[in-house]
Amino acid sequence: MKEPASENKPKIGVFSLTGCAGDQLMILNLEDTLIELLSKFEIKSFQEASSYSENIRLDIAFVEGSVSTEHDLEKLKEIRDKSSLLVAIGDCAVNGCVQAMRNSQTSIAERMLDVYGVEDNIYRALEPKGIGEYVRVDFEIPGCPVEKEEVFNTLISLLNGDPPLIPDYPVCVECKLNGYPCVIIEEGKPCLGPIITAGCDARCPSLGLDCVGCRGPIKGETNAKAELEALRKRGYPDKYIINRLRFFAGNFPDIRILGERKNSKGEK
Amino acid sequence: MYKKLLKDDLENFIFILKKFGVVHAPVREAGRVYEFTELTDSKILQLNYTRTMIPPKKFFLKPKEQLYILNRREGFKEIVDDSKIVLLGVHACDINALNLLDRIYIDQFPDRYYKTRRENTIIIGVSCKPDEYCFCTSTNSSYALEGFDLFMHEIDDSYIIRIGSLKGFQIVCESENLLAEASSNDIKEFKRAEAERLKEFTLHLNVNGIQDILDASYDHPVWQENADICFGCGSCNLVCPTCRCYDTADFLNLDLKTGVRVRRWDSCMLKQHGLVAGGLNFRPTRVERLYNRFNCKMSLSEDSLNCVGCGRCTVYCPADINFVEVLKQVGED
Ligand code: SF4
Ligand code: SF4
Ligand code: SF4
Ligand code: SF4
Repeated sequence: MKEPASENKPKIGVFSLTGCAGDQLMILNLEDTLIELLSKFEIKSFQEASSYSENIRLDIAFVEGSVSTEHDLEKLKEIRDKSSLLVAIGDCAVNGCVQAMRNSQTSIAERMLDVYGVEDNIYRALEPKGIGEYVRVDFEIPGCPVEKEEVFNTLISLLNGDPPLIPDYPVCVECKLNGYPCVIIEEGKPCLGPIITAGCDARCPSLGLDCVGCRGPIKGETNAKAELEALRKRGYPDKYIINRLRFFAGNFPDIRILGERKNSKGEK
Repeated sequence: MYKKLLKDDLENFIFILKKFGVVHAPVREAGRVYEFTELTDSKILQLNYTRTMIPPKKFFLKPKEQLYILNRREGFKEIVDDSKIVLLGVHACDINALNLLDRIYIDQFPDRYYKTRRENTIIIGVSCKPDEYCFCTSTNSSYALEGFDLFMHEIDDSYIIRIGSLKGFQIVCESENLLAEASSNDIKEFKRAEAERLKEFTLHLNVNGIQDILDASYDHPVWQENADICFGCGSCNLVCPTCRCYDTADFLNLDLKTGVRVRRWDSCMLKQHGLVAGGLNFRPTRVERLYNRFNCKMSLSEDSLNCVGCGRCTVYCPADINFVEVLKQVGED
C-alpha cells in the first residue's frame, strides 16, 4: 500500500502531565504494530519515545497525567489551544486517579508538610484532577495504565474518521461474557467491578481476584452507594470500602462525598 | 415411545453420543460455577447440577462472536460455525427458553448464525430438582414438550428417555443395545417421580394478568427502591436464558481496508442500550431500565411470558435484587 504523503498524515503529539508515564509506555508496548501504526501519523512530540519536539498545530493531542500543578495547567491549556482533538489517555488524565485519593480529605498545605516538611506551596500544587475539569476533552481512554489494544483501536478509529469505541459498561459484563464466577457472590470478595469501566476483559476476576477499580468508575452511571451497601452487607467496614473506592476514584462526585472531611482545609 | 437407560450404561451411551458431535455437559471445576463445557472425561459429568451461571443459549447466540470478515474491495465474508455438538443435560427451563429464542431468531428475524448452530446441535434434556430460586412451574416451563432430541428423566437407577425428534430417534437406534423399552411399571415410576418433583417447588409466582398489573404499576415505589441499590451492571440480563439483545461493532485492521464485525450480548440494564444516533437515550435512568426489564420478562408477546423461572437473575445479582420478590411486591400492594 502506498503511504499517504506526509502532509496528509494527521499530526499528533503525546504529552505528559503529572503521572507515571505508564500510558505512553503502553503505546510503545504495541511492539508488533508500533512502527507501521505510527508511520500513519506525523509525530510532532512524544516525550517518552524521542526528545524531538516541534511546536506546531496538531490534529490530535494525546495527554496523559493529571493536572496537579499550575505548571500542568498552563501546559494543558497550551496543548488544547493548538490541537483539533484532545484525547485523555489513562485514569490520571481522565479523573485524577491515585493522586486524587485524598482530595477533599487533606489540604495541599498538609500534604506539603507531610512530604516536604514545609507548609508553603512551593511547587504551586493544585488538588489533582483530570484534564476534563479544565479544558474540553474529545475522547477519554481509561485505565491505569491504558490497555494497548484500546490504544490501537482508538488510533485506527481516529485514522478512519470514527469516534473511538470505549466501553461504557461495567466489568461485570465481561465476567459474564467470559463465564467467570462472580467473586462477590461466590466468595464475598470486595469486588468493585459493578461500578468500574470494562475494557480489561475482567482481568482480575478471571484470576479469581476482586476488581480494585483501576479503570475508574463509569461517568454518569456509577452507583457508588450501591457498592457501599453491597460490601457492607458482606461485612466490610465503611472505612475500608471508602478507601477502596477512593483509591482510583477520589474525584468521582459520588465517591468524593463518601469520607469527605467536613472541616476540610483543602483548597478548591 | 419411551426408552430406558440404566445409569450404569450412561458412560457407554455418552460414547455413542460422541458419534453425533462433540459432547458438552454441565461440569463444575474447582473454584468455578457449573458450566456447559466439553466433556473430556465422563467422570467429571454432573447431571445433578442446580443451574449453570451462563445458560446453554451461549452455544446458539454466542456471548461474543465474529460475524463477518470485512474487506473493502471484496465485500464481506460470513463466519458461520457449523460444528456438530451434543448438549447433554439441559434442563426443561433452558429448553423452553431456547424455544422462545427460536421464535425470534428463526421465525421473526431469521439469524443465520443462530439457525446454523441450532441445526447442528443435538439437545439431550435431563430432569432436575428445584432449589429455592426455581419457579418454572409458575411460568409454565417446568416440563419440555419440544425443542429437544432426547429427554432423560431420572428414576432410581435409570433414566426414562423421551424422544423428541428424528435425530433423537437415530441416536436411539444407534444405542439399541443399551436401551430397553420402558415397561408400564417404569412409566408409573416416571410419573411418580414427576409428581414428587412438583411437590418440591417452594417458590411460586402468580403470573395471571401480570402484564396488566405491571402496566398499571409504572409508578410503584418498588422500582425506585430497587433502582437505588441496582448497579445497572447487566448481570441479570447476561445470565438470562431468554434475553436476546446484542450489540455489534466493527474493528478495522492497520490497513484500514480489512477488519472484522463482532457482536456480543447486550443488556437493557446498561445505559447505552437505549442510546440512539444523535445522543438521545430513551431510557436514561436506572429506574426506567429496571421497569423495562421486568416488563420485558413478563411479556414476550400477548400469549407468552419471556421468563422461564430459572432463578438466575436473582442468584447472580451482586446487589441481591430478588426478581420474584419485586414482582410479588408490585402485584400484591
Ligand atoms: S466478579 Fe466483580 S466484576 Fe465480575 S461479576 Fe462479580 S462483581 Fe462483577
Ligand atoms: S482492577 Fe478491575 S478494572 Fe483493573 S484490571 Fe482488574 S478487573 Fe480490570
Ligand atoms: S444484576 Fe442486579 S445490580 Fe446488576 S443490573 Fe441486574 S438488577 Fe441491577
Ligand atoms: S428473568 Fe430471571 S428467572 Fe426469568 S428466565 Fe430470565 S434469568 Fe431466569
